[in-house]
This record gives sequence, structure tokens and C-alpha cells, in this order.
Amino acid sequence: MSVPDYMQCAEDHQTLLVVVQPVGIVSEENFFRIYRRICAVSQLSVRDSQRALFIRYRHHYPPENNEWGDLQTHRKVVGLITITDCFSAKDWPQTFEKFHVQKEIYGATLYDSRLFVFGLQGDVAEQPRPDVAFYPSYEDCDSVEKRIEDFIESLFIVLESKRLDRATDKSGDKIPLLCVPFEKKDFVGLDTDSRHYKKRCQGRMRKHVGDLCLQAGMLQDALVHYHMSVELLRSVNDFLWLGAALEGLCSASVIHHYPGGTGGKTGARRLQGSSLPSEAANRHRPGAQEVLIDPGALTTNGINPDTSTEIGRTKNCLSPEDIIDKYKEAISYYSKYKNAGVIELEACVKAVRVLAIQKRGMEASEFLQNAVYINLRQLSEEEKIQRYSILSELYELIGFHRKSAFFKRVAAMQCVAPSIAEPGWRACYKLLLETLPGYSLSLDPKDFNKGTHRGWAAVQMRLLHELVYASRRMGNPALSVRHLSFLLQTMLDFLSDQEKKDVTQSLENYTSKCPGTMELITLPDGLTLPPVPFTKLPIVRCVKLLSLPASLRPQKVKSLLGQNMSIKSPFIYSPIIAHTRGEEHGKKIDFQWVQGDVCEVQLMVYNPMPFELRVENMGLLTSGVEFESLPAALSLPAESGLYPVTLVGVPQTTGMITVNGYHTTVFGVFSDCLLDNLPGVKTSGSTVEVIPALPRLQISTSLPRSAHSLQPSSGDEISTNVSVQLYNGETQQLTITLENIGLEPLEQLEVTSKLLTTKEKLYGDLLSWRLEETLVQFPLQPGKVAIFTINIKAKLDFSCQENLLQDLSDDGISVSGFPLSSPFRQVVRPRVENRPTNPAESSKTGDLSHLKTLEAILNFKYSGGPGQVDGYYRNLALGLHVEVEPSVFFTRVSTLPATSTRQCHLLLDVFNSTEHELTVCARSNAELVLHAGECQRLAIQVDKFDFESVPEPPGEKGQFASPKQLEEERQEACGLEISSKLDIRWRIPSLKRSGEASVEGLLNQLVLEHLQLAPLQWDVLVDGQLCDCEVATACQVGDPVSLEVRLTNRSPRSVGPFALTVVPFQDHQNGVHNYNLHDVISFVGSSTFYLDAVQPSGQSACLGALLFLYTGDFFLHIRFHEDSKSKELPPSWFCLPSVHLRALEAQA
Amino acid sequence: MAMCIVVIAKENYPLYIRSTPTEYTLKFYYMVHTSLDVVDEISAMGKALVYQRELYLGLFYPTEDYKVYGYMTSSKVKFVMVVDSSNTALIFQKLHNSYTDVMCNPFYNPGDRIQSRAFDNTVTLMMIQVC
Repeated sequence: MSVPDYMQCAEDHQTLLVVVQPVGIVSEENFFRIYRRICAVSQLSVRDSQRALFIRYRHHYPPENNEWGDLQTHRKVVGLITITDCFSAKDWPQTFEKFHVQKEIYGATLYDSRLFVFGLQGDVAEQPRPDVAFYPSYEDCDSVEKRIEDFIESLFIVLESKRLDRATDKSGDKIPLLCVPFEKKDFVGLDTDSRHYKKRCQGRMRKHVGDLCLQAGMLQDALVHYHMSVELLRSVNDFLWLGAALEGLCSASVIHHYPGGTGGKTGARRLQGSSLPSEAANRHRPGAQEVLIDPGALTTNGINPDTSTEIGRTKNCLSPEDIIDKYKEAISYYSKYKNAGVIELEACVKAVRVLAIQKRGMEASEFLQNAVYINLRQLSEEEKIQRYSILSELYELIGFHRKSAFFKRVAAMQCVAPSIAEPGWRACYKLLLETLPGYSLSLDPKDFNKGTHRGWAAVQMRLLHELVYASRRMGNPALSVRHLSFLLQTMLDFLSDQEKKDVTQSLENYTSKCPGTMELITLPDGLTLPPVPFTKLPIVRCVKLLSLPASLRPQKVKSLLGQNMSIKSPFIYSPIIAHTRGEEHGKKIDFQWVQGDVCEVQLMVYNPMPFELRVENMGLLTSGVEFESLPAALSLPAESGLYPVTLVGVPQTTGMITVNGYHTTVFGVFSDCLLDNLPGVKTSGSTVEVIPALPRLQISTSLPRSAHSLQPSSGDEISTNVSVQLYNGETQQLTITLENIGLEPLEQLEVTSKLLTTKEKLYGDLLSWRLEETLVQFPLQPGKVAIFTINIKAKLDFSCQENLLQDLSDDGISVSGFPLSSPFRQVVRPRVENRPTNPAESSKTGDLSHLKTLEAILNFKYSGGPGQVDGYYRNLALGLHVEVEPSVFFTRVSTLPATSTRQCHLLLDVFNSTEHELTVCARSNAELVLHAGECQRLAIQVDKFDFESVPEPPGEKGQFASPKQLEEERQEACGLEISSKLDIRWRIPSLKRSGEASVEGLLNQLVLEHLQLAPLQWDVLVDGQLCDCEVATACQVGDPVSLEVRLTNRSPRSVGPFALTVVPFQDHQNGVHNYNLHDVISFVGSSTFYLDAVQPSGQSACLGALLFLYTGDFFLHIRFHEDSKSKELPPSWFCLPSVHLRALEAQA
Repeated sequence: MAMCIVVIAKENYPLYIRSTPTEYTLKFYYMVHTSLDVVDEISAMGKALVYQRELYLGLFYPTEDYKVYGYMTSSKVKFVMVVDSSNTALIFQKLHNSYTDVMCNPFYNPGDRIQSRAFDNTVTLMMIQVC
């Protein structure tokens, strides 16, 4: 016997073996259809007795195993059922012949046989034969089960007769010696009469009867017989049979103890067969009792009639512990015989099954360990596979999952052993898959997401490699790609550099034929392989949604409440609202993306591979909004540090967009990596609002772009910087071309400017523009261009700098420009000190040609399209960098009174600080030509200014500003007024550049007072004529000349009263003034005038008269009385015009 | 001579694997891995007696060329050793001591792979000495 039946279990000892075989050509499908129906009849309660009969069906049974039937009767084929096709009566004899040939094979042991003929109809079929059944077709054979039952009953009759026959053998008869095939030659020539031999015969026969009893459903009888057999055989040292007897004892006990069966699947089948197993168990015992009540059969037993003492259920039956001991003993006896290897192996398997039921894994593993080492003859490859598989199953049964997996893997490898001509890769793969749980490996990458992988990496990796190889050889590249991806993804930490290279190399080879997908692979047996996204190739550490660049960032038109404010709450600020808003911020990001505009997400990625990693087709996975992802390809250097990658896409619709993850193609494998599944990813929210489309404005200017960027502290983000160089006072035009490069019409444009804080004092507006002309061209359709012009006027301080002062003036007082107490000076000083960090520049401050820099930002707020409807606009900032070169300086300023009290002369020392010839003119007067570095005085006659009439700056300013500020403002306003009146212009003919110069800022209080028109306007009228200029008023001698002094009060307060005295004198033009004129001029009335107090904007006059007695030129000096003059009023207010009179000879 | 010494965490994953550098390394892995079945079985059996049980688990099973011995600390950390023949109880005691030293290291994170050099040296010594 050489073919072990690994499926054996202890209960099989009570079964009858029936072989079902096809004869002739029967299709497999038809055969197994009938076979299954036959198999269903596996248990039969025989007639009226309560004994049950179990049948074991085999469709294949090696005849040599049959030869061991005497040792264990359940190995004996007792029934044969043959199934055949026969369509014509002509073939019938032939078919019948075949049946007989088939019977010959198992002939010696058969109790009975049946032939099932399908397809034959007619005369032959009509003839009733006991051993042949005819059926018209495979479909039409209802009575098969009935037939089988009849057949089993006939088997039972034979069995029962045999049992009784053997059991009642008289002791006088010679008991034949039963033996197994290999023993036959050993007994040749042995003394058959010896006591030893007889005992041996008796023992073996007892054992045989025990087997028969067991098969016949007489458990207790069987136990008794086995016990006796053991006694007998032990005394003669017949080890093989002793082993068999012990095993029989064990089997019977197992059947008693475990009616549910030990054989796993077969047990389950049996459970189905007898719906109530416990009931079935109960049925056994009464059956046994029945025998016990009538022990006649036993008492007639010739070998040892006295069994009654041994009859006792509990005594005969082995306890669960004893079963194992006896199994051990039996196996140790079997192991003495090399030829009984199969028996030993099967006994081990049976014992293991029993132990599995008893949950005694350790002992079971010992049996199995023994089974592993039982050396059968050279096994065929198929047998090896079967052996390993069954070992694996048994280990699984006793809970040794790892051992089970090990053997399953060995079995799998055996399927594809090199010695096999046609390797069964499919079977190998299937077996390998079954080993996965044993190595605690699941094929779902999600199980590996939690922290570092902890497991038997080396072993698991080996298994994965084998899976890859097997699936490839199976001809399923998709599967091998999936496994290889899984290997790479989950075992990355355990792969050596070389292995990483190898694995990726082979992965690329596979994917070149079959790219890896994100689809679920379902295997034919129902196992699904989830997709393996390469979340570690590259490793993503940080995901950040980026706002649009500043120039494209949409801004909400602020409502009255401010957009962040919750409308529901009446509070301006509440900590509760702030708190909840903070939570919202965790998910939603507080900037917007714009429909139709390219939006960016920045990932920080890391390449863990020791070589360059090429990531292709990397794009975003989003939800909520239709999103057109623009995939990127990148190449990461080996073991790179964190590497920023920007993924872009265009939202096509509006709403809330959520970035769920990204997709990549690495080594030809497509991966969809969801952020939720990534461990250790930092993300600052992934949901952002997409607002409706807005137009896009592009600006280009006539000026060159500037490399110089504005100070970062400016807050605004500048998209473009332009620079221009101007001379102080020069005005230049900046032409800005506005182009709508978006897809929406640009409907609204608003321009604002912001001057960056500068230390320089700037007079006037740097930038001025007229937007109306541009707005005419609006709305600007996509692709259209509009022109916008801006005037840049750089008007800085024209006063010279400190060092120049020192150079040019030694007399600090006469240089009226900068008294030491001037605030201007205070400003300049610290500036020099504040910038010692930049020595190059600080040294420059002393330089006359030092450039001054002005910086401004032009903001273009524009909107249009659907975005405007929703109240969004965009802001484009243009940075303007103006370098101002000095043109002219006024080194000193002074005034000279003019002849008229309403006028005065302004003296300006103009210094040309350029390197070119320069002309200066004021009020369209003659030009003054200045060579480079030359300084000349420019005298301008100016009307005095009535500063009170200068409009006050907007009233609210005055409310908050301190008096000092007010004063400064007033002074500025004066400066502006003066400058505009003066209208000083310079021109550089060689450069064809021109500009204006302003005296603002260099006029100090003193000069201003001189230039100021006194608020008290004094008019002197002589003879009714206004007398102001140097022109003498003529009058006649002897006639009284009326003199009127009129005061107009323009000051905001009332002045007066005043007392005035008119003092006449004669100017001899040689510096001598003759005041002694009492006899030349006489006053009509008093020479002293008296003026009442004058209310603001009031007028008052006093009259008097003079009488010239002689001809001559006279001057009148009107003097105030010291006491009457208000001390607080400035003296320039009391500046009366001098009166020049010419007394002529009276005309007769 | 010890062919392979493995420290296995409570959750049955290896904390430390060291084997003689032969082509059979994987074989040792399989051997130790499958031996965990036995450990499981023993710990399942002796659950009630866990405090009385000896730490030394003894021979797990013999293979053709080697024997697999095991040892389990009270915190269910297992030491498994593949040897050709020797009394291993004492060696396990030493290994346990060395392992305790590793655990005493404040910078060692329980559950991580053991990378201690001292432990390594102890193991190396065992692999050479034990004959």
C-alpha cells in the first residue's frame, strides 16, 4: 500500500467502502452528476434495527490499497457501482463485459456490485436484472437513490453474515491467519500448530471481527472485540496487528465520544445527513444496548466466550486521554514496519483530528511533526503537493496558522517545482494567496497606513515576491503589477537600496505591458485586491492651497458691516463668534479661487528612493467643483529633502472646492492618493471657495521696468515695478496700457495711488491723472486695450542743503532761509544720523547731486463679468520708483520792500546744481541763464499776498490738529500760493527738459510776513486821490488839501482805536530830512487824527486838511502814537504808504 | 552554537533578528516564525498559571539539523533561538538580562527595533561561544 488517504478520520473505520466508477466513455459532467447523487446516500438505518450503516464512496481507489483490507476492513472495497453510457442494444454485451472486467479488479473483496446504464431503451432494458439498472437518460433517473439504498441493504446483509460467520467460528475450527501483503512470505514454513501461531491467528481474527462489528454499527461489540484482540496480540508481540487493534479501539472510542465527527468537512456532511447528531448519538447506544441485552453472539464466541465481565460501556470505551495514548502506542508499533508507512501516516492524521477536537494543539503538533518525517516511497510531485496541503490544513485545524502557512507555501512551491513538466502556476498562486493570513499580511494597503509596519518583513517580502512571480507566470500582468506595487508601497522601509532598484526595475518592465490602475482587481475565487496608491513615492509631507497671486486675488467689496462680520449677531465683537469662526477656519481657508483662473496647490514632497524618481502626470483630485487639473511631471533627485511641488488646475464652475488628494503615475502605476489616508501630512485646510469669473488686467507702461522692488513693509504686493528719473520740479507723463487678457469684459476700473512714506518733503501731488478719458473706452472686451495717462510731478524741497548753507553763507542771520530754530533743520539732522548703516549713501548726503527717491503704488481696482455681480474685484498694483535729481536750489531768500506797500521784491539766490546750462524764469520774465554750478540772484517783484483769503484746508482737520500743526499747514498753504504766483520755471535746453521750481518750504516766517498783505489796509487819500506810489500828487499853494486816512480791517478781530500824527518833512536827497516846516505848512485843524475801533471787515476814516504856504516837494510821514498802538499786532500791519506831495504855484 | 537569535514583541513581530550569515537566513526566519504557533499555544494553555509558569519554554521542536528553543518574559516578550545542540536555559537568562538593560535605556522606545550595540555584542558573543 503506497497511496495515503490524507482525508481519513477515525469515523472512517465504521464505513463501508464503495467504489463508483465510469465504464466506457462517460462525460465527466454526467458522471459526477450521478456520483453526487450517489454520495448523498451515505448513511442508512438498516431495516427495523436501529443500527446505522455508513458508506464511504470513492470514484478512484488504488487496488493495492484494497489488499490491506484484512488489516482494517474499512480499506476493503466491498461495493462497486459502475456507470456507463450505452445507446444501442448492439453495444450492450460489450458494455456488460466491461462491467465484469471492472469487477475483477476488486473481485476478491466485493460483497456486491451494480451497473447503472444510461441511454439504453428497449428489449434489453426490459429484462429485470438485480445488478443492472437502466435509465433512459441522465436527467430521467429518479430511482437512483432508491437503487443505492437497496444496494446498501444488500451490502449490509453480506456484512452481517460475514460478521456472524466470523464471530461464531468454533474454536475447534482452524482459524485462518489474516495477513497484510508484505507479511505473506514471512509466514512460509512456520509451524501452524504452535500455540504462538494460534494466538496470533486468534488475535488477528478478533481484530477483524471488531472491525466488522464497527462497520455493522455495533460499537460496544467492536470495543469488546478490540480489547480482547489487544490482549491476545500483545502476548505474541504481533506489533503491526496490535497497532491496528489499538487504532480500532481508538476509532471506536472516538466514534463514541465525538458523534459529531472529527473529519471536518466530512463531519459536516454527515451532520447534514443526520439532521440531529445528538439524536444519532443516542441511537447508537440503544443499539449497542440491544446487543448487550442479547449477548448470545458473544457467548457463543469460541475464542474467549467469557466477555460478559468485560461488558460495560464506560470500561470498554477509552477516555479521551487514553485515546491519544493508545494512538501514540499504535503509531509507535506501526513505525516498526517500513511498509506500513501509509498506515502510520493515516493514523497520525486521524489522531491529529481527534486532538484538534480536544483542542490540544501541542500534542497534535507532535503527531504532525512525526507525520512530516514519515518517509514514504518516492512520492510523485502531485502527491507531494497533496501531502503539504494536507499538512497545512491540519496545522490550521489545530490553530497553528503560521505553520499552516509555511506548509501551504511549500505546497505552492511544489506546484511549480522545476521537475514538473507543466508547472501549475495558477494552483501555486491560489495556494500562496491562502498563506497570506498565516503571515498576517493583508493585501489592503490601508492596513499599513498606521505608523511603521511591524511584522516579519523578510518573510512577508518573500511571499510577495513569490506572488508577483506566480501571477506573472500565470499570465496575469495586472495582478503582478498590483502585487509588486503593494510590495513597494508597504515594504519600502525594509527594502535595501539594491532591492529597491530591482523591484522598481521589474515594476517598470511589467507596467510597460500593463499599466497599473486604481481599479479593484477581483480574482475568480472572489478575493478582491484593492488598489495600491503609491503614497510613499514620493512621500508627501505638507499640502497647502495657495492663494492667487496678489494681482489676481479677488477681493470682496466691503459691505457696511464688513464682510467677516456675522450678520446674525448684533455685536461688533464677541469672543464666542470669534471662537466658532476659528473652528471653521480649520477646514475652510479664507481666500478664494476664481473660476477660470489657474489655481495652485503646493505639496512638500520627499523622495525616499536611492535614485532619481520620475513622477508623471501628477495632478489634483478634487470634489465639489468641476476642476480641470493640469498634470505636472517632475523628477526628484535621489533621497531628496523636502521638495516643493506646485500642482495647478482651473476650476470650471463655482462653489466650494475640496482638494481630496492627488494622483500620480510612478513607474507606470497610476495612483490616487487621498489626503485622509496619508499619515503625517500637514494640511492647513483643503476646502476653498471658488467665486465667479473675473476679468484679468494686464498693464504695461512706457517706462522701463525696475529691478528695484519696493520696501516689503509696504504691505501691498506689487506685480510690476517701473522706475523713472526726474529732475526736481519736472513733470513727466506715464502712459499705461491696460489690456484685458481674461475672458470676461472689464467693466469697472478705479485707480488710487499711495505714496510710500518718505523722509523727503514733497510738495504737490506726485501723481495726477484723468480717469474719465480712459473710462470712455469701457467696458473693455477681452483682448482689447485701453490707454491711461498719468502725470508724474516730482516737486521736492528746492532749498539747499545744510552743507551748501555752510558753504555759501557765513552770516547765518542774513540768510533768512534757515534760522537755526527752523523745524526743517530739525528734520534734516536726524536723517543723516539715522542712516549710518549705509555708509555709501550717508556719504552721498553731502553730495549736491544726491538723488532722492520717491516711491508710490498705483492701485488698479477692476471688476467685471459674473464676479462683479457677486461683489468681487481685483486689485493690480503698480510700483513706481521715482529718482529725483536736484535741478536748482534757492540758496537764500530775502525780501526788499517795493515802492508800493502792496508790493515787494523777493530776492532768490538760484544755484544750478545740474551739470548742464540751465535757464530760470519767473512770471514769464526774462530768462536768467545759469551755468553748471553757478549761483545768481533772481529778483522778482511780487504783489503782497493776502493770506487770509487762502482757503482753509477742510475744516475737520483743524479740529484735531494742534496749534503748531495748524500753523505749519497754514504756512504750507501760503507757500503754495506764493509758488503758484511766482511761477518759477527752469529749463535745461541741452536735455530739452524743463520743470518748475517752488519756493515752498524755504519761506520762513520772517519772509512770509514781509510778503504778507497786512490785514489792516491803510489808504491815504490826498485831495480825494489815492496816493500810494512814488508819483507825487500835485496841489496848489494856498489851497487847502484834504487828507483822508482810511482804515479797512480785514483781520478777524477788531482793532483800534488808533491815534495818528501826520509829520511833514522835506527830503533834501542828501540824507537830510528837514522836519522844521512849521512856517511852510499849516494844518487846517489838528495834525493828529483819531480812528475809532474798527470791527472786522469794517471801515473807518478820518479827515483833515493841509495848507501849503510855499511851493516845494513834501513828504508826509504818518506816525502812530506809541501808546495807542496795540502791542500784540505785528508792526508790518501798521505800514502806511508814504505820501509825496508837490505844491505848485497857484494859478492865478 | 546559536544559529539565530530573535527577540519578538508581545504582538508577535520581531524586535531583533540576528542569524549567522548564511544563505539559509530566510529558512531561520521561517523556522522562528512558525515557532510562534507553539508559543501561542503554550501561552493559551498556561493562561491561568502565568505567574507560576517558568519563563523558559524549552524546546519548541526539533528540525533535521537544528533545535528551536524559546523563552518568554512575563511581559510576553519572546526570545527564540535556533541552535544545533546545547542547554539554552542559561543563555536565555543572559539574553533576558541584556534585554532588560535595553529597556532601561530611556531613549529606547518600547516596541521599536532594538538597535543597542551592547545587546548586539551580547548576541554576537552567544553565537560564537555557545557550542
